[in-house]
Amino acid sequence: MKTPPEPPRNPPPGNPLQRRDILKTLGLGAAGAAAAAVLPAGDVAQAMESPQEQLKTRYRETEHVKRFYALNRL
Amino acid sequence: MARMKFLCDSERCIECNACVTACKNEHEVPWGINRRRLVTLNDGKPGERSISMACMHCNDPPCAAVCPVDCFLQTADGVVLHSKDLCIGCGYCFYACPFGAPQYPRTTDFGSRGKMDKCTFCAGGPEPDGSVEEYQKYGANRLAEGKLPLCAEMCSTRALMAGDGAILADIYQERSVRRGYGSGAPGWSTAYGRNERGSPFAPGGPGTGGA
Amino acid sequence: MLVKRSSAKTAGNKRSGLVAALADTLESGVSRRGFLRRSGLAAGGIAAVGALPGAMIRKAEAGPILPNVEVVTRKNVCTHCSVGCTVIAEVQNGVWVGQEPGWESPINQGTHCAKGASVRELTKGTRRVKYPLKLVDGVWQRITWDQAIEEIGNKLLEIRQASGPDAVFWLGSAKFSNEGAYLYRKLAAFWGTNNVDHQARICHSTTVAGVANTWGYGAMTNSYNDIQNSKALLIVGGNPAEAHPVSMQHMLRGKEHNRAPFIVIDPRFTRTAAHATEYVRIRPGTDIPIAWGLLWHIFENGWEDKEYIRQRVYGMDEIRAEVKKWTPEEVERVTGVPGAQVRRVAEVIAKNKPSTVIWCMGVTQHTVGTANVRALSILQLALGNIGVAGGGANIYRGHCNVQGATDFGLDVSTLPSYYGLAEGAWKHFSRAWDVEYDYLKGRFASKELMEAKGIPTTRWFDAVLAKPGDIDQPSPLRAMMCFGHGGNTVTRMPDMVKGLEKLSLLVIADPHPTTFAAIKERRNGTYILPACSQFETDGSRTCSNRSMQWGEKVVEPIFESKDDYTIIYLLARKLGFANEMFKHITVEDTRPVPEDILREMNRSCLSIGATGQSPERLKMHMKHQADFDKITMRASSGPCAGDYYGLPWPSWGHPEIRHPGSAVLYDTSKHVMDGGGVFRARFGVERNGVSLLADGSYSKGSEIEDGYPEFTMAVLRKLGWDKDLTPDEMRVIQAIGGGGAEVDNVSWQTDLSMGIIRVALKHGCVPHGNAKARAVAWNLPDPVPIHREPIYSPRPDLVKDFPAIEDRRDFRLVQLARSLQFKVADSDLRQRFPMILTSGRLVEYEGGGEETRSNPWLAELQQSMFAEINTRDAEKLGIRDGAWVWVYGPEDGSKAKVRALVTDRVGGGTVFMPFHFSGFWQGESLRGNYPPDTDPIVLGEPANGVTTYGYDPVTFMQETKVTLCRVEPA
Repeated sequence: MKTPPEPPRNPPPGNPLQRRDILKTLGLGAAGAAAAAVLPAGDVAQAMESPQEQLKTRYRETEHVKRFYALNRL
Repeated sequence: MARMKFLCDSERCIECNACVTACKNEHEVPWGINRRRLVTLNDGKPGERSISMACMHCNDPPCAAVCPVDCFLQTADGVVLHSKDLCIGCGYCFYACPFGAPQYPRTTDFGSRGKMDKCTFCAGGPEPDGSVEEYQKYGANRLAEGKLPLCAEMCSTRALMAGDGAILADIYQERSVRRGYGSGAPGWSTAYGRNERGSPFAPGGPGTGGA
Repeated sequence: MLVKRSSAKTAGNKRSGLVAALADTLESGVSRRGFLRRSGLAAGGIAAVGALPGAMIRKAEAGPILPNVEVVTRKNVCTHCSVGCTVIAEVQNGVWVGQEPGWESPINQGTHCAKGASVRELTKGTRRVKYPLKLVDGVWQRITWDQAIEEIGNKLLEIRQASGPDAVFWLGSAKFSNEGAYLYRKLAAFWGTNNVDHQARICHSTTVAGVANTWGYGAMTNSYNDIQNSKALLIVGGNPAEAHPVSMQHMLRGKEHNRAPFIVIDPRFTRTAAHATEYVRIRPGTDIPIAWGLLWHIFENGWEDKEYIRQRVYGMDEIRAEVKKWTPEEVERVTGVPGAQVRRVAEVIAKNKPSTVIWCMGVTQHTVGTANVRALSILQLALGNIGVAGGGANIYRGHCNVQGATDFGLDVSTLPSYYGLAEGAWKHFSRAWDVEYDYLKGRFASKELMEAKGIPTTRWFDAVLAKPGDIDQPSPLRAMMCFGHGGNTVTRMPDMVKGLEKLSLLVIADPHPTTFAAIKERRNGTYILPACSQFETDGSRTCSNRSMQWGEKVVEPIFESKDDYTIIYLLARKLGFANEMFKHITVEDTRPVPEDILREMNRSCLSIGATGQSPERLKMHMKHQADFDKITMRASSGPCAGDYYGLPWPSWGHPEIRHPGSAVLYDTSKHVMDGGGVFRARFGVERNGVSLLADGSYSKGSEIEDGYPEFTMAVLRKLGWDKDLTPDEMRVIQAIGGGGAEVDNVSWQTDLSMGIIRVALKHGCVPHGNAKARAVAWNLPDPVPIHREPIYSPRPDLVKDFPAIEDRRDFRLVQLARSLQFKVADSDLRQRFPMILTSGRLVEYEGGGEETRSNPWLAELQQSMFAEINTRDAEKLGIRDGAWVWVYGPEDGSKAKVRALVTDRVGGGTVFMPFHFSGFWQGESLRGNYPPDTDPIVLGEPANGVTTYGYDPVTFMQETKVTLCRVEPA
């Protein structure tokens, strides 16, 4: 079962102001603007993991993973 | 510590595209973006072999080396991730990648190709694990849920494997010994370096046809 | 880049009969400049890109799994092929949001192919039919369910009144659950016709007829998993790497673990052949010569299993006589395979036992389909490979429930469970259904028609177009009720279109509109009812290996769709026989309860042992999948201990006696209560003074240590075992026998108390008797399989040596064969159509393909219809890879415009086309004809637009694998 943490279920549709703010924060040029148009809104600082968190190990050898390995040995 | 790797056993791969479709399903990847794809050699001729290809999450990834905005990062377990917030869509990583992994929403000779997209080893991105933002930009984060990339988990013939590189190498070696020959684990040496020592049947080993 | 949605224009189909078409020269109706202009437009389905989001960063609402919302996991079964892969669905707020691997399934163990990995999309339903539709003057109108059922019902009753019940063709589906299939067959019976059929007709009807006539039952003998026990694999006319990818998991494990030779015999170097240790390329349509060629070496070298043949096979000497003709030189002359290779393969399969033979539609879809099947069956009998783990005839069925739909009687020649149509069969079911036999008889136009085989789906349009005198029923077909069936999977589509045009009523019940809806010749009298998929209802389905799996409803039927049970009930109610039909089936609101339907099946389908698979047991198996062994498929612990997964039939007797099912059919090494078996005594006990019963062979623990006939009261009495019957059982038997001498004739098949079965099992005997398998099946047109050239033979020089059967009548229609074949051979057709056309499957799509071509994840993988053309042929014809070409067929001026795929996958002179496409017709798009927003993403020319006449005499299976064609650059 997937049990992700709390962030808002459905972020409100981005409004132009926030979007522009994101662009400013990230220092993106005009080139990025088109794609950013559909970026979800929200507090960017909060939405990012810390650099340490970003590099942490995500893998765990769970029962699920062990089963996968076992089936590959058949 | 476990190092995440992909291994495609071309003796098993039947080009069924389950991996490609599982990827589309899990991450809702839009039409035209192919994080994973099948490559077939000698199509329709004796010796035909197929391999499933995606970002291999290389040691010393060349994409990261050429990125002008330094948007790549490699996690402690070897997964190469990137920040779509930083990416400027220049396309350099595409030229650097030996596997053709980076994908772009736009095709253009000039200007931005849009935010680069590629396989994340089902490990999401720089946003908090399992967050809606992470899903929207990078897709599911199965690794954080204690699972492996869905492409490998669903592979029809157990050709495509993903997970701890040491365990995969061991499984592959078992298979090669059982068969009495190796057939190469395509891309393995390119991504993770040559294996000159150890069993000749290990992936990348001299007895497996190399690659 | 969108494909132009202009209303398509079909090239003027001149109404010309089949034979007239032979004299017809090619029509060049369309100018070449026209093609060029169009070819620029239609870059396949890439067109659809425009409609899909272009950036990877998606809209906020698209993220499937929502945080902090409960995730419910449900288990169902993939709705595509017959492997039966478990699908694990994650559901939030009633929406299917994630698909996870089901490690525990003994069959797929978490794996999927592209189709299985894509099934979640089905319930998103972007291209689904959303509400009932009616075609009014060429325009689709939305109507309510009430209006639809009312109008359809009234029209059906009007047709019945004017033309009799046989004027309606009830086409069911291998996509039904078992319960849906059974209910639909019952619906046809209560309506009063045997014109009820489904896809088995066009995929494996010849397999069912062929193997049932050889050893008793029409099904795969072993299982996909069991192939891991094989020491050699021989795959003939099958491409599991594309059609049944997950089966390859078991096959490749067998190949690796046993270092088993893996031999592929096929005209095409398939993706399966790419993994073969030996590939044998035959000329299409020469399966019997290659089988007899292998057997020639086996007999010549004494490699056959002589003791097995003596004990368990009838008539092998007659086979020897025929095989003697197939010397290596003769085999090479006819098949093109070098003698040394045939010998090598023969030796490999004879010396690496148990060896298994696997076949698919490359064997079955021929004018000699049944004979092909029988030849391969006889090959396995000669080697003693039937009834052995690791051996067997592993016949890969097509759709997810084609085995079950066949078993439960969606067939013009039988009631459920292969009881046939004779009076005894009707009486059995009138008892099981608790209605008077005379009531059922009264529903039919006559007793004669009640007991006569109906019109098969390969020929329904011939039955529409027939003149009243040419058809053996009171009226040609006037209405078609088409549930879950594509229109492009049957040959001779130009004639099909004409038939469609003439129908007064066409009803399509399907999640997708199907090819039938897009045929522009119809402008009125067509209805589309949105049927839901099997993920939106519950029920059991039977995989190829006879395991039944219970699928759990994942989500409620989407939009206004309804499940098959409900639609069938609504029709029955409108037609006025719901009370009789649902006498013992609970109906909640308007939905019959599938568990109740299965219980009725368990009570009545004795003859295949579909009695032990109660809904409770099936659900328990799904829940405890992890307890089953991944090779033997047997549970060693848990509540299912001792059972084989899915209780593969036969699972004899009442569920309470806990028969474990039979993983390997006819396996004498096991006790019958352990899944053991023997060949079925179905054809009497003696022929021309020779016993047909087994000789000294019997299943382990049998109290009769020899062959024995099927069990009846008379047999029980002779053995003194009638005393073992309980008074309750005896009472039922007396009632069925009517009290008098007839009681002796009550058999294991008709004894609704299942007492006779119980007693036979108690003594270690198999209820159906213990006979020899028949190498000679005297009731078939060719008792010993003999080679016959296809109707459109590419070798006219061989036609006189190997002529088709004589023209004949069957299934209420005329069947042309030899006269047509000779006419073709004597004409200059071979010069005008110099290439062989064959067809087959692709991994991305399934069946008629509408459902899969509507799924963007799959559609993206295969965006255009194509024809494979050999490299040298392409060079000669000036055809580039990827260029547009016209493929012309020899009948009706037929043609198809497709892309060329230049490859050595096909041999010189052979063209291959996949059959999953439709929505284009002779170069024109039909996109505008689909109801709005239901047109599949990818459209293409149907291969069957250019296929031709030719039918198997036993089942009217169509010939799709050999015809002639010409290819020209477009």
